[in-house]
Amino acid sequence: MTQIELRGVQKFFGAVQVIKDLNLKISDNEFIVLLGQSGCGKTTTLRAIAGLETIDEGDILIDGKPIQHLKAADRDIAMVFQSFSLYPHMSVYENIAFPLRATRKSKSEIDQEVRSVAKTLQISDLLGKKPSALSGGDMQRVAIGRALVRRPKAMLMDEPIGALDAKLREEMRAEIKRLHIKQGSTTIYVTHDQIEAMSLADRIVIMHEGVLQQVGSPDEVYSHPANLFVAQFVGSPVMNVADAAVAETASSVSVTVGEAAAGFEFPRALLSKLNGHAGGQLALGIRPEGVLIRHDAAEGFLPVETQIVEPLGSFDIVDLKVGSKMLRARTKSGFVSGPGEKVFARIDPAQAHFFDTASGKSLGVRL
Amino acid sequence: MAAVRTSSEIGFNRVAIIAVLVVTIIFLAPIYWIASTAFKPRNLATTIPPTVVFQPEISPFVKLFTKRSQMRSPPSPEEYAAAPWWERVVFDGGEKIVRDGKGQVQWSGYPSRFLNSLIIAITSTVLAVGMGTFTAYGFSRFKVKGEADLLFFILSTRMLPPVVVAIPMFLMYRAVGLNDSHVGLIILYTAFNLSFSVWLMKGFMDEIPKEYEEAALVDGYTRMEAFFKIVLPEAATGIAATAVFCFITAWNEYAFALIMTNRRAQTAPPFIPSQVGSGLPDWTVIAAGTFLFLLPVAIFTFLLRNHLLRGMSFGAIRK
Repeated sequence: MTQIELRGVQKFFGAVQVIKDLNLKISDNEFIVLLGQSGCGKTTTLRAIAGLETIDEGDILIDGKPIQHLKAADRDIAMVFQSFSLYPHMSVYENIAFPLRATRKSKSEIDQEVRSVAKTLQISDLLGKKPSALSGGDMQRVAIGRALVRRPKAMLMDEPIGALDAKLREEMRAEIKRLHIKQGSTTIYVTHDQIEAMSLADRIVIMHEGVLQQVGSPDEVYSHPANLFVAQFVGSPVMNVADAAVAETASSVSVTVGEAAAGFEFPRALLSKLNGHAGGQLALGIRPEGVLIRHDAAEGFLPVETQIVEPLGSFDIVDLKVGSKMLRARTKSGFVSGPGEKVFARIDPAQAHFFDTASGKSLGVRL
Repeated sequence: MAAVRTSSEIGFNRVAIIAVLVVTIIFLAPIYWIASTAFKPRNLATTIPPTVVFQPEISPFVKLFTKRSQMRSPPSPEEYAAAPWWERVVFDGGEKIVRDGKGQVQWSGYPSRFLNSLIIAITSTVLAVGMGTFTAYGFSRFKVKGEADLLFFILSTRMLPPVVVAIPMFLMYRAVGLNDSHVGLIILYTAFNLSFSVWLMKGFMDEIPKEYEEAALVDGYTRMEAFFKIVLPEAATGIAATAVFCFITAWNEYAFALIMTNRRAQTAPPFIPSQVGSGLPDWTVIAAGTFLFLLPVAIFTFLLRNHLLRGMSFGAIRK
């Protein structure tokens, strides 16, 4: 049972505030991913929990007890570093045994536990080798083994697979997930890769410039981004965002983007849901799969021209010119023959997001 | 790069090999000269042109370690026959070994000077490298106020020729009774090597990723434990290199040893040339003393050669 809680955590590097009033509750066995661009404070947050950075204000609690004044060694937390940080002068066996040697365990106990962890991670045949003789994936397995062997209260991982090549990264991602399900320890994982975050996390914590932007399950974060930053950070290809003008028509509501001649049709319910923001500065957000296109004209579809087609194998991403704006749509592969084709497009109201341009906040419209 | 070497590359390689051979010969020539003179008969040591082929002798080493005096007449045949082989080689040179009233052979000053050199050089090296390693770690890992100024200040002790301060140092040492003492020279050489050691070790410490210690801290160790268990083994290469340089400096130091010591704590460098003056210069004895004096540095460097060459942390961390 390990719960971790951050209460009003603040951290300064000189005059620069890198963590701004961070509040977060992590429950037992939860896999939390801190997601953000480099320099957003996610790694600093992780290091503060590990005890490698001090915090200037606030509390860090493990199982309800404040630990921010404890040394890293006394927090009973394990960490996997991006660089793996395997001790080069020690064999794999010694590396894994190293955290146990800090405890008062007997030699035979240590031996037993090292071998059992090595078996779990399928690195038993590597125990005699030096880290420099290992491949990237094996180094990472050893680093995880060293973290697991002590059965710590929590596992912290700082971009543990960021240094691996793409194929290996995918493999290790699955392995980390499998391991988490098997071992079930509270885990905090830092990454800038949103695919990694989506595939691993129970909940994703998105940070930007030291401020927590949104906490939620991968689905929540993807389908209901709290603000423009989250909307554009999560999801690949990136969500389309355009300034939008909302106007009432006889039977429906028209949403115009990029000063186009005509607007996209939305149900009347939009007006009430916008709750008075209709006349204000609005931005429409729509993911590429929410832009529907067809070859022949139909009710509610606007004529548009294709600009660039990016074939991505299982689907294509097509840039459509709408007024002065580009909307990216996701289509079946080969649906559009090439640039300059005339097609008809509409926006799926159910997948549309509306944001207040000034604050960037989502207006929470769900149609 | 092409896998097949072109003729110009092969030609360049040959030139490079010849250049390396020439440089090696230039560097080894003085060593050969000393070593060969140390085994020459006295009358062949100063011939012009130099004698290259000769029957090697051990007599210079016997003379180096014993007190001798000139003989007016050669020893009687009985005396010669009764003498051990090492005394005969001295008789052959027209000298005899000085013995005390009980007939015990009197040692020359060389063994005690050699021992002094060992004690002083080893102790000052251990101190300079030890303190330098800790200091460098502090500068490398912690925010030190005025770090650049302090490091400059440390280096500034080497910005003047050391002999410039020899006279004031001599007066100070005499005032506090440190002259002609082991402690005095140890302090002097430690102080002299410390700045070098700090700077060199800082370079090595900066190279060791701090993630290693952080991993150890998270793994349940204190910073001190992390330093001894992780940083020190990683810094072994740097420590070895620094130690070799400090040892060579302390071992070879001449000027201060000459000024600060005369008997009790005198090291080998000022002692060896002083042998020129007693009687006729015997270059073979001086060469023998120099030859033995070269050995500790050679052995020390040889023992540490693996550390000097090995880049231990190579490839174990992913950047």
